[in-house]
Amino acid sequence: MAQSDEDDDYMNMVFEDAPKGPKYETSLQRAARKRKEGEARARQKTKAEREADAEAAREAALATALPETNKGFKMMAKFGFKQGDTLGKSEDARKEPIRVDMKGDKSGIGLESEKKRKFREQWAQAEREAKRSKEEEGDYVEIRRLEAKEKKAERDLDSAQRTAERLTEKEAEDKGTPQPADKPWKDVNLLWRTRARRRAVIMHEKQQRRELNNSLASRLPTLAAEDDDEEDDSKVAQGRDLAPFYTSLEDDFVDEDPDLAEFEALPVPERLQKLLTYLREKFHYCLYCGYQYPDAELEGCPGLTDEEHD
Amino acid sequence: MHDMAKRENNDDDSARVKRVKVEENGNGKMDPATNPYLSHLYDEQPSEYNGSNALSSFKRHATTTKQASRAEDGPNNAFTGRPLSSKYMSILKTRRGLPVHQQRDEFLKLYQESQILVFVGETGSGKTTQIPQFVLFDDLPNQNAQMVACTQPRRVAAMSVAQRVAEEMDVELGEEVGYSIRFEDKTGPNTILKYMTDGMLLREAMNDHNLTRYSTIILDEAHERTLATDILMGLLKEVVLRRKDLKLIIMSATLDATKFQKYFHNAPLLAVPGRTHPVEVFYTPAPERDYVEAALRTVLQIHATEPEGDILLFLTGEEEIEDACRKINLEAQDLSREGGAGPLVVYPLYGTLPPAQQQKIFNPAPPPTTPGGRPGRKCIVSTNIAETSLTIDGIVYVVDPGFSKQKVYNPRIRVESLLVSPISKASAQQRAGRAGRTRPGKCFRLYTEQAFKKELIEQTYPEILRSNLASTVLELKKLGVDDLVHFDLMDPPAPETLMRALEELNYLACLDDEGELTTLGSLASGFPLDPALAVMLITSPEFYCSNEILSLTALLSVPQVFVRPAANRKRADEMKELFAHPKGDHLTMLNVYHAFKGEEAQSNPKQWCHDHFLSYRALQQADNVRLQLKRIMEREELELMSTPFENKKYYENIQRALVAGFFMQVAKREGNGKAYVTVKDEQNVLLHPSTVLAEDSEWVIYNEFVLTTKNYIRTVTSVKPEWLMDISPNYYDLSQFKKGEIKQALLRVTQKLQRKEAEKGGRR
Repeated sequence: MAQSDEDDDYMNMVFEDAPKGPKYETSLQRAARKRKEGEARARQKTKAEREADAEAAREAALATALPETNKGFKMMAKFGFKQGDTLGKSEDARKEPIRVDMKGDKSGIGLESEKKRKFREQWAQAEREAKRSKEEEGDYVEIRRLEAKEKKAERDLDSAQRTAERLTEKEAEDKGTPQPADKPWKDVNLLWRTRARRRAVIMHEKQQRRELNNSLASRLPTLAAEDDDEEDDSKVAQGRDLAPFYTSLEDDFVDEDPDLAEFEALPVPERLQKLLTYLREKFHYCLYCGYQYPDAELEGCPGLTDEEHD
Repeated sequence: MHDMAKRENNDDDSARVKRVKVEENGNGKMDPATNPYLSHLYDEQPSEYNGSNALSSFKRHATTTKQASRAEDGPNNAFTGRPLSSKYMSILKTRRGLPVHQQRDEFLKLYQESQILVFVGETGSGKTTQIPQFVLFDDLPNQNAQMVACTQPRRVAAMSVAQRVAEEMDVELGEEVGYSIRFEDKTGPNTILKYMTDGMLLREAMNDHNLTRYSTIILDEAHERTLATDILMGLLKEVVLRRKDLKLIIMSATLDATKFQKYFHNAPLLAVPGRTHPVEVFYTPAPERDYVEAALRTVLQIHATEPEGDILLFLTGEEEIEDACRKINLEAQDLSREGGAGPLVVYPLYGTLPPAQQQKIFNPAPPPTTPGGRPGRKCIVSTNIAETSLTIDGIVYVVDPGFSKQKVYNPRIRVESLLVSPISKASAQQRAGRAGRTRPGKCFRLYTEQAFKKELIEQTYPEILRSNLASTVLELKKLGVDDLVHFDLMDPPAPETLMRALEELNYLACLDDEGELTTLGSLASGFPLDPALAVMLITSPEFYCSNEILSLTALLSVPQVFVRPAANRKRADEMKELFAHPKGDHLTMLNVYHAFKGEEAQSNPKQWCHDHFLSYRALQQADNVRLQLKRIMEREELELMSTPFENKKYYENIQRALVAGFFMQVAKREGNGKAYVTVKDEQNVLLHPSTVLAEDSEWVIYNEFVLTTKNYIRTVTSVKPEWLMDISPNYYDLSQFKKGEIKQALLRVTQKLQRKEAEKGGRR
């Protein structure tokens, strides 16, 4: 019974090997193979290939310790040397030969590691960003709401500053003491001084561009455009890239005007609140009502903030 | 460390106190007639102050500075008894102004009390010239027919210091004071002070294990940690236990001498501060893209903007230095013409530069172009030989790119090469110190402070960690050191380095399988050569060409004989072509030597060498080395012979003899080009561009495996594979070979040989 069971067990059925080609290659096949092999051997490796081979072989050999079959090892074993031991009597003797580092160029000390460090930093930065975006995915709605609120506050701040500036100018004109157009931006009220400064920067930039175009760029008419990796200096000199000027102003600004820097460092809502208060007190103006009230009571205005106007 | 710090702080005071004390003695208690400073007033001197008798009252190891000074004052030479010259007197005055002199008392006290002493004195303190003389007056080696030895890492230093001290002692060089370096011994029966290379002392120890000829041994410049000094320290550590009468002084120029102290069972330490000025160190704000270019820029900037003072720039090698000199010269001329700076003279400095040109660095800086104009300046562009071994006064600015060429050895691929590598912090400090020799200076480091702290290792690796130890192991075996595994070295190398050395010596049949010295090994250790070269020389009579191999060995032991000036490369190559042998470089070099020894060349050898772009110095040196080696061969009764030149086997015999030494340095061509693969290590290599090899050569032996960004083999000669298996069957045991093309090729050769044998047998 068992016997027949076994016989019938098709699961154990053995298949004959699938038919193969002839056991020996034909003379034609052999000739073809030999020719191919010969060609592969005869082909001159390119210089780059050879160098890569040489380096790979060198690195492989440098990473391989001498085996215990080495005749020298046997002689040392006679004196009790074992794999992993060190020589001599001091505690901190070397275990491995000193690394061989080939220097292929004239780069100064620290350049290589500086490159590596920058690469690592970029990588870490990318990772941080990826992580952050993942975290935020959870409360997407909440974030969008906050973002929208922040943007609105920025817009409100901007219009509050514009209004304050306008009202101030209007007041001066009404009094018959119009402000000069070229009033230094540093003399403008701190609350909206940033507007004046921005205008000054743009003016300055325009002027620079004009001057450079008139002088250097016109003298170096064709040396432009095509080469991208020119030095920054020459780009600036040709008036093609004015970023350096902008940054230099940006940098100066903290030194020039610490008050403004301090003010600008405040969060948007706080600055906004300061302006709204100023407008109400000085001009009895409510930004959200869009109306200049006749007196300090501001009768009819529901309150200082946007929310109160809903 | 603690001791030293204290000494540094108190130095000025203690020195002053000491001087006062001496004067007191002189003025108060001393009879003016015995005052050595007044000796010229008293014609009738007591005999003990006269001539060599001056030393008769000296009690060995119990003398004082006072006694020694009296003997030094003369009027007769304490060691020769001859009257002292006026030149001697004027030198004596200078000597007494050297910093070490002020601590002679202290030195004597420690020297007398202790068997081993560590002495620290910066370059310029006078330690190398004075300490051995201080020792002479207390150790009195002449009484026991012994000598004082002072070792130097460099041949040139041993020679020049011996010359100087002979003058200081008013004796003939080679008499009381002499020197001994490889291939040159300038000492005599009267010699009591012997300057020698550390390698020479090691060789002497091979025949005199206890160094009984010496009463005191001074290891100078120990901080350089040469291979020989490290081995000597290991040996002497044992010898001092066997010979209680032997005194040992370890002298170092750097303050990290505590390591020496610890190694020598906490031996006492004496430090003499050098005369140095503060040096302000500047770093670059960011790493440099090209350190050579940055260096040139810095030098020119210093020249244009900094006040008077000479510049020292450290670069890595001859080619880089010559190139930099040319560029600085051009730029500086422009600057000077435009009136932006004074004149600038640039001097290169590297080891292979002829001595006459090396001397030029001591020329004073040029005067202003016009009277009252901007002052001139000199700029020295040097390898690290200006770091410790040479003192150039007037250097105020040092430019340090942070690199030097250092020897590296790796036992895994058996390559010993010079590679450009970052220096150590200790080296960087040493370089900076060079700016403060004459007055406060500035050091411009062409790397960031961050890089200095994080990228540079603390100390340069001692040579023993960077060398092939085959030669050293053979010497130690000959010295009777059997257990090399536990030999007490200050910095033991990696075990694989020893393993490889033992293996190589075994293949060369210098050691048997048990690691015992063979007869051949013992014989080979007697030659001041690499074991492979020694074995080649010893076995050369078997190939009927010992004369030729002797010449070749000499040629391989000296610097490159071919000169190839950058300005005249083509002409130099044409000249080399005259000597070229189609079979390769060894035979080409032999052709050069034979031509050099020919009648035409010998009528005016200097001119002949110049005309043929050959180094007269190198060839002369080779001639001298050959003579020395010949003497050893004669002593060992090794036959000198040649195959007749007409015999067609003349060159083949030489090639075979080369194989007997270099069978471990063989490469097989890969494909048809210049690409080769080394046998066993399987490294891809290229023939060095300087190679002369006209014939198609599948197998070559090479003298050197050079690592750069590419791997090169240099000094190459064609050989036949059957010779390899015939001459070194042990190394070419094919069962030990890795599978691959080389094994296949060698198998084919074996089969061919066997077939031939069979045919021969069949015919018989």
